[in-house]
Amino acid sequence: MKNKRWIVYAACAVVILISPAALNRYWTDVLNVIGLYVMLALSLNIILGHCGMFHMGHAAFYAVGAYTTAILNTAYGIPVLWLMPLSGLLAGLFALVIARPIIHLRGDYLLIVTIGFVEIVRIALINNIFGITGGANGIFGIDRPTIFGMKISTPGQFFYLIWFFVAVTIYLFRKLEHSRFGRALNYIREDDVAAAGSGIDTGHYKLIAFVIGAVWAGFCGTLFAAKMTIIAPESFNFWESVLLFMIVLLGGRGSIAGVILGTFLVIGLPEIFRQFATARMLVFGVVMVAMMIFRPEGILPPPPRTYRLDGDTGPEEAA
Amino acid sequence: MGKRFITSVAVVFALLLCGQPVVAADTVRVGLMAPLTGAWASEGQDMKQIVELLAEELNNQGGLLGKQIEIIAEDDGGDPKTASLAAQRLANSDVVAVIGTYGSSITEASQAIYDEAKILQVANGSTAIRLSEKGLKYFLRTCPRDDEQGKVAAKTLMDMGFKKIAILHDNTSYAKGLADEAKGLLEKEPVEIVFYDALTPGERDYNTILTKIKAAGPDVVLFTGYYPEAGLLMRQKMEMGWNVPFLGGDATNNPDLVKIAGKQAAEGYYFLSPPVPQDLDSKAAKDFMSAFKQKYNAEPGSVWAVLAGDGFNVLAAAIKGSGSTDTEKMVAYLKTQLKDMPGLTGNISFDEKGDRVGDLYRVYRVDADGKFVLQP
Amino acid sequence: MEFFFQQLTNGLAVGGIYALIALGYTMVYGVLKLINFAHGDLFMIGAYLGLTLLTALGLADHLSPFGVIALLAVMVLALVAILGVVLERVAYRPLRQAHRLSAVVSALGASIFFQNIVMLIYGAKFHVYPHDLMPRTVVHIFGMPVPLIRILILLASVVMMVGLYTFIQRTKVGTAIRAAAIDQGAARLMGINVDRVIALVFVIGPALGGVAGLMVGIYYGQINFTMGWIYGLKAFTAAILGGIGNIPGAMVGGLLLGLIEAFAAAYLSIAWKDAFAFCVLILILIVRPTGLLGERVAEKV
Repeated sequence: MKNKRWIVYAACAVVILISPAALNRYWTDVLNVIGLYVMLALSLNIILGHCGMFHMGHAAFYAVGAYTTAILNTAYGIPVLWLMPLSGLLAGLFALVIARPIIHLRGDYLLIVTIGFVEIVRIALINNIFGITGGANGIFGIDRPTIFGMKISTPGQFFYLIWFFVAVTIYLFRKLEHSRFGRALNYIREDDVAAAGSGIDTGHYKLIAFVIGAVWAGFCGTLFAAKMTIIAPESFNFWESVLLFMIVLLGGRGSIAGVILGTFLVIGLPEIFRQFATARMLVFGVVMVAMMIFRPEGILPPPPRTYRLDGDTGPEEAA
Repeated sequence: MGKRFITSVAVVFALLLCGQPVVAADTVRVGLMAPLTGAWASEGQDMKQIVELLAEELNNQGGLLGKQIEIIAEDDGGDPKTASLAAQRLANSDVVAVIGTYGSSITEASQAIYDEAKILQVANGSTAIRLSEKGLKYFLRTCPRDDEQGKVAAKTLMDMGFKKIAILHDNTSYAKGLADEAKGLLEKEPVEIVFYDALTPGERDYNTILTKIKAAGPDVVLFTGYYPEAGLLMRQKMEMGWNVPFLGGDATNNPDLVKIAGKQAAEGYYFLSPPVPQDLDSKAAKDFMSAFKQKYNAEPGSVWAVLAGDGFNVLAAAIKGSGSTDTEKMVAYLKTQLKDMPGLTGNISFDEKGDRVGDLYRVYRVDADGKFVLQP
Repeated sequence: MEFFFQQLTNGLAVGGIYALIALGYTMVYGVLKLINFAHGDLFMIGAYLGLTLLTALGLADHLSPFGVIALLAVMVLALVAILGVVLERVAYRPLRQAHRLSAVVSALGASIFFQNIVMLIYGAKFHVYPHDLMPRTVVHIFGMPVPLIRILILLASVVMMVGLYTFIQRTKVGTAIRAAAIDQGAARLMGINVDRVIALVFVIGPALGGVAGLMVGIYYGQINFTMGWIYGLKAFTAAILGGIGNIPGAMVGGLLLGLIEAFAAAYLSIAWKDAFAFCVLILILIVRPTGLLGERVAEKV
């Protein structure tokens, strides 16, 4: 069973990799958007899926990353990809500062506070805070990224750039999931009192999860700014956060494959439903409800962690 | 688990593949990018109605270059991300040109895509100055720019003799741009700006804001936002028993303004706008009005949708005039040869940047019957 | 000083409507621990249904203004309640045993569905209630002009809140609701039909939202299909501020949020008022993690 699953993964990866050859620019660009959202959703998955914190304000961190890139690139001409680490760092710092006092809030109270943060960030951006965000116009004229002197501008080129980062993300987050840290997060999600009782510093771990998710969202912000070449506050509104939230839950909390599949659905379906024109979002709403009813734990919930008894090393994933 | 997984993946990919566009027969394909869903759906749906009507009429007269015209409408959802996808989709559907869209930041997200694909874009509701300052060769617009309107707004206020002016916008890029333009010009004049702030669009209750503006004691309020809020402001202003004149920008030119405010509250409201077809004597405008009424049994709504209709008209003129659907030739024709074409919103010509030239703005006043009366 | 009192009444008027919508949020949350994101859209549908009934039945020709409003309120109440029960049946009941957040996604899906179906049926344009529905009487309180309808809205919210509170605290059915809120399993063992209780909650909550929609329609006149989202978010904020699941809390939270917004706009900046309101919310939650009137309960372990 286990091998079969790997064959499917590999097949999917190959299909995705060669797809730009078969697709036109539009569908390639749809895949680019999906790729960006895969990264974002995976970063939210650490917070919401693994650690179980109700976080509906992920767009705030994404915005910090995107604006950091946009401002420094347009003002000082620093190449966009160089700004990626800094964008992630600032998003992480921002998360650290705001999450510290609120990390202990339970479920729904945390939810509204994170919604509050994303709205505050959006309002601050619109009101041109510090005079550097360009207000409602946003920032335009962001450079295209260059790699080894090659300028990335067509959807096909962006495809490989974005999906390279998606691959890196999947690899690293998979490592994280199976680390001691990942197991601790899952314990907190299932029962944080018991986790604390077993000696896990829950506040500390929750904070780290939050910061990791935010750093990654910051990285995505850089890619987004580079791809769009214009960013405006409306790209980071509450609805974006809701979309990400839905992706993680629809795909399966804590499951990388699930979240990827969820992104394909949540971002891909409205594009497919374009033939319904004005009714496309209506169909989308119905599909959302139906999906949740038929797969309440998400399309692909993570398999339960199982451990071998015969004294083998390390945890092993069940198929 | 394995089987279910494979099935899920297969279903998703099957879904993704079934949406491929079909390349159709021998027609002249014109793209329309409009917000058919989302917060600005009403504008987008109006745009589609008007453009489809004009295309139908032209087809009945034999179409262009002996071919029928086909309108390919794509939804930009009123947000930049969806717009860039809509643009990619149109760029791939063999369109000779694209009309649209509404909203400067939405248009901006699509500009580079059309430029790279060498597709002529005629925007209709995107007034931000910078859109035509980037040197994009294939970009034109039928709407005037914010600086033009800002100039007219400041001049109108001065001509009316107001001394203490309150400026209210709504923090959208259009309204803020216009408010800033007007503010910059008014600061050079011997008037006092007693209030400058933004409301949050989409709310229902603006009493707090009106109370605050009233306390600042202006002679006139310049509101640069959109008609839904303008209607509510007028209505709540009347309920407060406050009798201050309002001057609005062209985004308030919509018959729904009077519907929302009520005739009594809307009376005396001034706004700036390019002339609407209702007020023009030209044959083009009159024919359009009667055709529109016949088909949809209503008057055309906002001026922006009408400007999309003008976008269609100039495209048709470009194809006819240059005798081809080649982008370079059409652009060259529009920028150099097209002079004072009678459109739905007055005569149309373009300058080298692709902006519409000429004094477009008129001052309108709402009368006691809720009609928009062109001021001399 | 007059400016202050004027803004006070402005804030209370807005807050009264937030409070009314927040009541519905809190009711549903109290029993199901579900954030019903479709609640704002039920509110919006209430506004649309009210307008349709008003124009279709031509009520205004036959009855006095208050008769019209009372009759409309009853009809909207009933229709939105039916919709609420159907929503629960279709979108939430199958998910009752699932993780809490699954139902939240279902609610978001329902919200998208409601918004778009209203757009398809009524069109994307703004719709407007007749202007002469309510007499525009102005009463003077301490020499300050206050429109009568504002006082009525505030009064209606208070009456509904008190009525609801009494119903929950004093009647047998109310006791059953409270029992189901605390522990559904135990309630079932005590002979309470939990399904019926939940259905009842989905009658009351959406009905209140629908009436709030009607009131917004009558008072402000202008309605459109996206209004539910904005009001829904504000009302959810209000419910949390007061302590979600707590009925007086929803009232306090709603009024407080209205006042914070009004005074932030009056004395600070209009453009920043929402950001300021959220800051206050966050500060309050840092000090009181379960809202102003919320009880300190440990998460079920």
